[in-house]
Amino acid sequence: MKSHNIKMFAVLTILLGMVGFAFAPASDRITVKGSDTMVILAQKWAEVYMQSNPNAAIQVTGGGSGTGISALINGATEIANSSRKMKPTEREKLKARYNTLGIEVACAKDGITVYLHPSNKVKELTVKQLGDIFRGEITNWKQVGGADQNIKLYGRENSSGTYVFFQENVVKGDYAPSCQTLPGTAAVVNAVKKDPNAIGYGGAAYAEGIEICKVKKDDNSPAYVASAETIKSNQYPITRYLYMYLRNKPTGAMKSYIDWILSPEGQKLVVEMGYFPVK
Amino acid sequence: MKRISLIALVLVSVLFFKANAQEPTTDEKLTEVNDKINGLTERLATAESDLSKLTKIKVSGYMQAQYQYFENPSIQPNNYFSLRRARVKFTYEMTDGVKFVLTPEFVPGSLSVKDAYVVLNDRWSKAFSIWAGKFNRPNYEVEYSSSSRELAERSTVIRTLYPGERAIGAKLEYNPLNVPVHFQLALLNGADGITINNASGTNLNTTENKDFDNYKDIMVRATYNLQLGNFGGLDFGAHGYFGSFKSNALKTLSSDYTTIEDVKFGDAVKRNWVGGEFQLFADVLGGLSVKGEYIAGKNASIGFSPVAAAGTTAAIPGVANFQNNFSGYYLYFIKNLGKKNQFAFRYDYYDPNTDITGKDVRVIKYTSADATLASRTSGKSDLATTTFGLALHHYFDDNLRVSLNYDIVQNEKVGSAGLLTEDYTKADGTKVVKGLDYSNVINQNLLTLRIQAKF
Repeated sequence: MKSHNIKMFAVLTILLGMVGFAFAPASDRITVKGSDTMVILAQKWAEVYMQSNPNAAIQVTGGGSGTGISALINGATEIANSSRKMKPTEREKLKARYNTLGIEVACAKDGITVYLHPSNKVKELTVKQLGDIFRGEITNWKQVGGADQNIKLYGRENSSGTYVFFQENVVKGDYAPSCQTLPGTAAVVNAVKKDPNAIGYGGAAYAEGIEICKVKKDDNSPAYVASAETIKSNQYPITRYLYMYLRNKPTGAMKSYIDWILSPEGQKLVVEMGYFPVK
Repeated sequence: MKRISLIALVLVSVLFFKANAQEPTTDEKLTEVNDKINGLTERLATAESDLSKLTKIKVSGYMQAQYQYFENPSIQPNNYFSLRRARVKFTYEMTDGVKFVLTPEFVPGSLSVKDAYVVLNDRWSKAFSIWAGKFNRPNYEVEYSSSSRELAERSTVIRTLYPGERAIGAKLEYNPLNVPVHFQLALLNGADGITINNASGTNLNTTENKDFDNYKDIMVRATYNLQLGNFGGLDFGAHGYFGSFKSNALKTLSSDYTTIEDVKFGDAVKRNWVGGEFQLFADVLGGLSVKGEYIAGKNASIGFSPVAAAGTTAAIPGVANFQNNFSGYYLYFIKNLGKKNQFAFRYDYYDPNTDITGKDVRVIKYTSADATLASRTSGKSDLATTTFGLALHHYFDDNLRVSLNYDIVQNEKVGSAGLLTEDYTKADGTKVVKGLDYSNVINQNLLTLRIQAKF
């Protein structure tokens, strides 16, 4: 093989490859993966949008915020739903693979709700008490004004954005080893429903059949339940945005879908599903 | 009749007792199921506890197999298959905030340790971390993983300054949670991967697990990540290297080939340089980036002192330490082509001696009245190198990448023909005397076809 031929081969292959791949058609199919907190909302959005746009094909799955962002990085999904912000390490991976920082779309708000069994005498807790409970420093309900019973902790798996947000903003340390991790907010609600000594956390939209614990910022603050009003006014202390992450600026079918989600029609579904609108 | 009634009564009784004996009550059934569930829960708890220990260990790695064709006539064989990298990375996160990393490399004929370090994160502010062991030196291209890099090898200036990329030492990192600033301060042995020959050409720096001298080198790097809205982002920063080698000779020659300094054995021969870097990421037509870095300063290589020839008192001339002013830079342009393909171009320049030009090479020389020192003449190692690199990558999925890479390498030319030449041997064994003449560009172009699998 002469070196001239090698050179020509290499340069031509690289140039032809550039031209060929640059015009590769983009797919209209939209896959959405990630946050379990957001999965019922994302499914509702997809269902309603596909009814009015029969050509749209939107597939929604959960798995947790971390799983969704990993899928976005490895190309397995077009939209990653996340109930926490993208971590710097995840952004670095996106940069390395796609040369973008990703696009962050805040699409709803949520108040992380603390679930209690209806028979529990405790009806309100401060953020500090919640942190102490989930770190395992408060272990008996009588320490916070309840019955003399051991506290049973239920939480999410570490791939969950809710797990990360609650850890960073409430627990502020390691979760107690006795905290039982469950796959999905619905499972946490179910566990608390059956256990009079249980406490759990998750999205406001899932809180059915259990007692919602009022949360106080500190000892001197009033206690609030997550509601449209308390979240809008920042009175409820454990409030967060829910995000959709994309690799690139949306175009075509993807842009139409994102625009619709942020429109009054899309945001109306946010309220219907028990979440809170971004505006 | 009585007899029939008696038989019927016995049969009914037998059936009743049989039925009672076979069918446990609902309570009994419930107790049995509860016991079973309790047993399973206990077993599950044990399994979960064992599994949680295993989840603290993460295993990842990658392998790069390649075919290369060298156009340089002095390289024989001029084409072959090889395994460029085969690494497995074990990360053990004992508790939140303590991490151990071990990365062995397996390539045919050798087994080496690439990374072996422990990271301790501060549990309060979560902004500081201390690293100790063998880890990447703080520099953008060094720390950017080979499995993600867009050209087959790092740029020439980085490969020259940081051979093997890793160094043994300790490092303090500051990564505040809410401010996009990153700061690294490292204290390193400083001799990692560097050859330091004695009079007989033996490398004195073969023990990679300890230092060659008592001098420790300092590296510092600071970067800032600026977000540019939906357009993308700009990361920029600077790094510096401040170190020295122990002198192994009595003279240190400067790269102008005129300045010589008297030194003592054990004196510090300084190696200091600074660099500026940027990486621009733009969400334009599917994502592109432009990355660059410029580094300049003074590097050093260690000579050796005159020694007596075996069996005589006659001195074998030594070689002076050498301090060279250098500069180098690289500029990448990377463009994603759809989701599965990527194109990259890199312009890479390294001048190991900024005090003289190509036209001075072999003309400029140090001449000394000191007979124990050989006359030091400028040569091939003073010539600058320019490399144009082109690469096309196809990602089959997140784990599998195929890359075609072509490097066009050009050397700085010397002033006239015959001034700097080298012999080489052809594939058939024929020796070509003065076959490589550095008054021309020597063809050193290189084609690499590489397949990478990572997990």
